Order: sequence, then C-alpha cells, then structure tokens
Amino acid sequence: MPYSNYEKWKTTPLQEPPFLSIVIPAYNEAERILPTIGAIASHVSDLGFPWEMIIADDGSRDKTVQIVEDLGFANLQVLRAEKNGGKGSAVRRGILAARGQHVLFCDADNSTPIEEVSKFIYQLTQGGQDLAVGSRAAEGAQEENKSLMRRVLSGGLRVLVRYTLNIKVRDTQCGFKMYTAEAARHLHNLQTINGFSFDLEILFLAFRQGYKVAEVPVTWIDAPGSKVNARKEVQRFLRDIWIIRRNAWRGMYNRAPEAAAEAPQLANSPTA
Amino acid sequence: MQVESEAMQNVQVVRLKGRFDAFEVPAFTDWVERHVKPSHAQVVVNLEGVEFIDSSGLAALVKGLKRCREYNGNFVLCYIQQPVLIILELTRLDKAFTFYEDETSALEALSA
Ligand SMILES: Nc1nc2c(ncn2[C@@H]2O[C@H](COP(=O)(O)OP(=O)(O)O)[C@@H](O)[C@H]2O)c(=O)[nH]1
Repeated sequence: MPYSNYEKWKTTPLQEPPFLSIVIPAYNEAERILPTIGAIASHVSDLGFPWEMIIADDGSRDKTVQIVEDLGFANLQVLRAEKNGGKGSAVRRGILAARGQHVLFCDADNSTPIEEVSKFIYQLTQGGQDLAVGSRAAEGAQEENKSLMRRVLSGGLRVLVRYTLNIKVRDTQCGFKMYTAEAARHLHNLQTINGFSFDLEILFLAFRQGYKVAEVPVTWIDAPGSKVNARKEVQRFLRDIWIIRRNAWRGMYNRAPEAAAEAPQLANSPTA
Repeated sequence: MQVESEAMQNVQVVRLKGRFDAFEVPAFTDWVERHVKPSHAQVVVNLEGVEFIDSSGLAALVKGLKRCREYNGNFVLCYIQQPVLIILELTRLDKAFTFYEDETSALEALSA
C-alpha cells in the first residue's frame, strides 16, 4: 500500500484516459467531504489503474467547493453549480463530464465503503455487465444502523417499483452504482428526473434498453447527517414513478441520444 | 467499532477497531470520560484496526487530545493506516497529533 501511489495521483495529471471516473454529488458537504475524498483516494490509487475524481457540487451554500478546490489535486475536478438542482442533476453533470471507461457514483459520506469498488469493477470487466448497482437488500448485504422507517418504506416501495416499472433489482436507491462509459452517457442523456428518484429512472431505462444489470451486495452504513426528509421523499418517489411511466407512454425516452456515442475529449488539465 | 484498553505502567493504551464514525463516537468518548483523569492522562491510541474516520471521529480524537493536555498529559496515535493518515493530512490534523509507528515506540516516548 505505498503512499507514493496516492502522492502521484494527486500531483501528476493523467496522460491517458482514466480507467475509472468516480463522481460524488455534493450538497453542503463541507463537513463530510474531506474524509470521503481521503478514503477513496487512498484506496483507489493503490488499485493500479488511472482514475479521476469529480465532485459535482449541487449549489452548496457552505464551503464545499472552496475546500475541495483548495486541495489543488491534479486529477480531482470540481463542477460548481449555481443553484441546488437535486442529487439527480448533480450526478448527471458529473457523469457527463467523466472521461473514464467506467464510471462510478457514490455518496459524500462514504456510506458504502469504497473498499467495495473492486466487486463492481469485476462485474463490468469480467462479468460482462453494463451496470453494477450496489444493493443493501441482495443476499450477502450487510446493513448497519438502518432505521425502522427506512425498512418499512423500502419494503413497500420495492414491490411497487417491481410491478410498475419492471425494474428487476431489489434496491434501487443505493448511492453506489457503476456503469460502462457507454451506458452511463446513454442513460444519463435520457434522464429527466433531477431529485432523489433519478436512480429509478436510470434503472427503468437500463432494463428497457436491454442493458445487463448486476446487483452487488454491499455493506452500507446509514450515516447520521443524511439530509433526506423521508415523508417528503416518499411522496416524491410515488410521483416520480408516475412521471416515469407517463414519460414512457409519451415516447420521451425514444429519442436517440447522439451524445451517447461520443466520449468527451481528454482535456490537458482536468483541474480548474 | 471495538474499543479495548490496557493500562501499562502510567500509560493507557486504547485499541480501536472498525469504522470510526458518528455512530461509534460515543463508545470512544465514554472511554475517555471514564479513563482519562488528572492522574491518568497519558494515552496511546492504537488505530491499527481503523480504515475510515469521519469528521465526528476526528472531533472525538481532538477532544481526547485536549482533555489530556488539560491534565498536562499526552495523547498520541500509533499504527495509523494509510487512509486515516491521508484523512488527517487533508483535514490538516496531522499537525495537531503526534504519531508513532507502533505501541512500543509510543510507550517509550511517553514514559521517557
Ligand atoms: N440532500 C441532498 N443531497 C444532495 C443534493 N444534491 C446532491 N446531494 C448529494 O447526494 C448524496 C446523498 O445525500 P444524503 O443526504 O447523504 O442521502 P442518503 O445518504 O441517501 O441518506 C450526498 O452525497 C449529497 O451531498 C440535494 O439537493 N439534497
């Protein structure tokens, strides 16, 4: 575990396209972001492939952007947003800016420990999958510190999601998902939902477009400091299920995403 | 997170294992409350089993350090794993703490 891998990553801009891009949506994360960046940078730099990190700010009103920019890391870029647009909008901006062959998004609180990443890479590189989605419900998953409220909610919603949207994974909301670059761009170009239920839409689209989706059991720690208001989110969620169905009936997901085919150019210096 | 401790001469060694986050902070804070006294303010924190520490875990360490200093003692860290070292650096707390490679060298330094 040489520290020099991390040092090299933070000081030397990549000369080649990254194998992996890690996108972290961040809304007022000044408290939580540095430990998460540190844990990820330490672990992933040792895996032996070129990678980049993208912090997709979501109109934070605290010092999130400044704190991350001040690090001045060569392969870490911050995408600043003027306004708060919702987690879905932040993830989309991050993913569309990613240059990696594989793209992972994960939460700013490291609630799914980054050590899980290798299982996801394996699914895409060896398992022939297009998406690998973290699951707190799949067999072998370990769930720590989860509230009763969350358990009941996820049970009911899971059944609903399966039957209305034909999504064949048990946990749609886990904030740890990896795609091939092609799938990531294709799906996020079709995305219309900016709030927390964007995951649903992406999965709905993934199954509809015939992408191969693997569910990967993960440990997940329901970190305190979560900013989700459960009641409001459930109402949103139900509304969004309806919106996705309606969008589909109206043919909104049928347009060909031209941009999906093209990878963004490798910029000389990723840091702003 | 597991918190285990052992008293060695006038120094207390506390060994932590697991993720040091807001859920685990109370266990550590409790230990500090119960064990750090004006007469017992020499502490070595063994972090060999800790791969991740969040901002509340960091705050708990700083509190422990302050408490020991108040009593003219020491509060040092050892066996720091790479992720935790990097997190301490990014948050600039590496300057606040004294690190040792292992328990032996920490104990030697504190009993000198
Ligand atoms: N709450 C919230 N989080 C957002 C928003 N935009 C991006 N995020 C990020 O989405 C991730 C998940 O948020 P969090 O509150 O931890 O939700 P939870 O982990 O699902 O309980 C974090 O990385 C947030 O910073 C937003 O508008 N609101």
